[in-house]
Amino acid sequence: MLFLDLTINGLLTGTFYVLIAIGLTLVFGVLKVVNFAHGEFYMAGAYAYVLLALRAGWSPWAALGGACAAGAVLAMVTERLLMRPLYATYTTWKVPKDEYAVLVTFGLSLFLMNLATQVIGPQSYRGPSLVQIPRVDLGVALISGQRLAALGVAALVLAGTVAFIRWTPWGREIQAVAQNRFGASLAGIDTGRASLVVFALGGGLAGLAGALLAPLYQAYPQVGALPAAKAFVIVVLGGMGSVVGSIVGGLLLGVLEAWGAAYVSYAYQHVFGFLLLILVLLLRPWGLFGERAREV
Amino acid sequence: MAVLGAAVALALAIPQVAGLAEEPVAIGVLVTQSPPGSVIQGTQVLDGLNIAAAMINHRGGVLGRPLKLVVEDTSGLPEKGRSGAEKLITRDHVVAITGEHQSSVCLAEIEVVHRYGVPYVNTNCWADAVREKGYPEVFNTSPWNSLVSEAMARVIKDMGVRRIVAFAENTDYGIGQAKVLEQKLKELSPGTAFTYQVVDRTASDFTPTILPLRTNPPDMVVTILLPPAGYLLMNQLYEQGIAPAPRTWLFDGSGISDYPDFWDNVKAAGKYLISLGFYHPRMKLTPFGVQVRDAYVRQTKHEPGRLIFQAADSLLVLADALRRAGSTDHAAVIRALSTTRVLGTRGTITFTKGHGATFQQWTGIPYVVYQFTDVRQALEETRLIAGPGVALDVHRLLKP
Repeated sequence: MLFLDLTINGLLTGTFYVLIAIGLTLVFGVLKVVNFAHGEFYMAGAYAYVLLALRAGWSPWAALGGACAAGAVLAMVTERLLMRPLYATYTTWKVPKDEYAVLVTFGLSLFLMNLATQVIGPQSYRGPSLVQIPRVDLGVALISGQRLAALGVAALVLAGTVAFIRWTPWGREIQAVAQNRFGASLAGIDTGRASLVVFALGGGLAGLAGALLAPLYQAYPQVGALPAAKAFVIVVLGGMGSVVGSIVGGLLLGVLEAWGAAYVSYAYQHVFGFLLLILVLLLRPWGLFGERAREV
Repeated sequence: MAVLGAAVALALAIPQVAGLAEEPVAIGVLVTQSPPGSVIQGTQVLDGLNIAAAMINHRGGVLGRPLKLVVEDTSGLPEKGRSGAEKLITRDHVVAITGEHQSSVCLAEIEVVHRYGVPYVNTNCWADAVREKGYPEVFNTSPWNSLVSEAMARVIKDMGVRRIVAFAENTDYGIGQAKVLEQKLKELSPGTAFTYQVVDRTASDFTPTILPLRTNPPDMVVTILLPPAGYLLMNQLYEQGIAPAPRTWLFDGSGISDYPDFWDNVKAAGKYLISLGFYHPRMKLTPFGVQVRDAYVRQTKHEPGRLIFQAADSLLVLADALRRAGSTDHAAVIRALSTTRVLGTRGTITFTKGHGATFQQWTGIPYVVYQFTDVRQALEETRLIAGPGVALDVHRLLKP
């Protein structure tokens, strides 16, 4: 009974991890940079949701859209103002260096956290639930209505994202740029637009995750720090740049943490994911679904 | 009456001075103003200090000079607390330091003040370890873990609770309080089985650790976590139907239920919560306390929480010691602090000559135990279970 309860809750948590990680892996896949400010896109979505719903009086479902847009807009501004100088020099076959991106996004993360503290305040806000059902008894598990609603939205959006990447013209452009940016540009693909789209998509997904979880985990300046750390683990675990890898990695991490916390020790909840990561890096350094090499 | 007279002289009766041209007396303030520490606590402490400083300066300051607060942000990190204390002492030449509200940071800062021999008034660091160091520079107007745990143990004993599970944050404060509560329960209520689980204060999902309680619910869950983790845990306990529930009481051991954002974050999970507080609107305030409360209400339109009063008390004892020392010399101020007897916001503040957890501690801090019986209930409408002038009566508790 407890085992099933833990597994269901682990899968639920894992789905939210996936939603956050998928944006990070897309950005890495296309730009080859690690975005350390990804957690703050999540924070922006959480704040947008609670402020739109609680202060502006929007319905929770409309605020959800607003939060997604807030994450996307913040990501687009970041891409245009801060990331463009990085790949303005991507005019050779060489794999670009990403030290610049590490420093810039790390700085941006600190800036956004402190900005939120100063402008909105240090207190936490709990967003309104999407549905007014306190608990749903599934027999083997008791789950809040908000968790179930968030799961439904997350699953739909994830399916939509995978379909967008696979089957739309813009998605194919993104795949081409991910394979080889310089080569794609020679083939006439607007790599700048692909970068903007992928950043907006990643930011939008992170913002949506922040909004879906704001009624459960609240909105406060440092709310994005832990999900971002988990997202990094998932991205490396699944294989950097692999969407399928992020999905499998996220679900695996959610379930593993739930089992480990209950059967071993909660004190080591975050350790299990890192142990798995170390194991994967030792045995399969390119991740569960990553490519061994990317050379042209 | 003599004590009241002295306090009124300090807080009210000193002639008003229109302008203080003398060089200010610099008091160092170490508080959290940025993540990852508790900024909500830091903001409240700073509000209380500013109110007290304005009141003291309005009445002439100390030694004919105005008080000036020099603020350093610790971010709730011990290493920043240590460097902040160093900066305040060597760069700003402060006369004394106060304001700290997180035990782990306190423990780092007092090493610095001890090395330089600078007076330090602990505003809200509960860990007994802060006192157990026995540093002569450190004076404690803050509540301490042994007091909180003993008060909780008395309530638990009277309630006849047999099995308790506590969740404590992974800090000096959290683990320290869980251990002291375990010890106090052994002394006062030996029949009570007590276990505690240490949890990460930065975590957001506590479901895996609380799920096993669904199949084997305890009689009481105790939370020893600061926000936002404290709020999240309460919500998840409620969401899983564990506590508050007909079988299981919920007891907040961190004094977070008078924080301004409490109800916005816990909603239905806060109904039936039992809490221990160091301020309650039905608690008798001194004239200085009334002035502090009124000033805070004027500024914010909200009822103050305990941290406002604790902060005001910290600065008041420093101002009183400076006045009696007649100088800003560190050693003279420390000597004066050790003989403190001043009417603070909620009673007469003195420091014991004891040792261990009560070393240089104000042991007479008044407290109340109360229960929320409705969602979004104002503090003054809560059900008082114990407090100054109210004998402990657990029969007043409303079962969920």
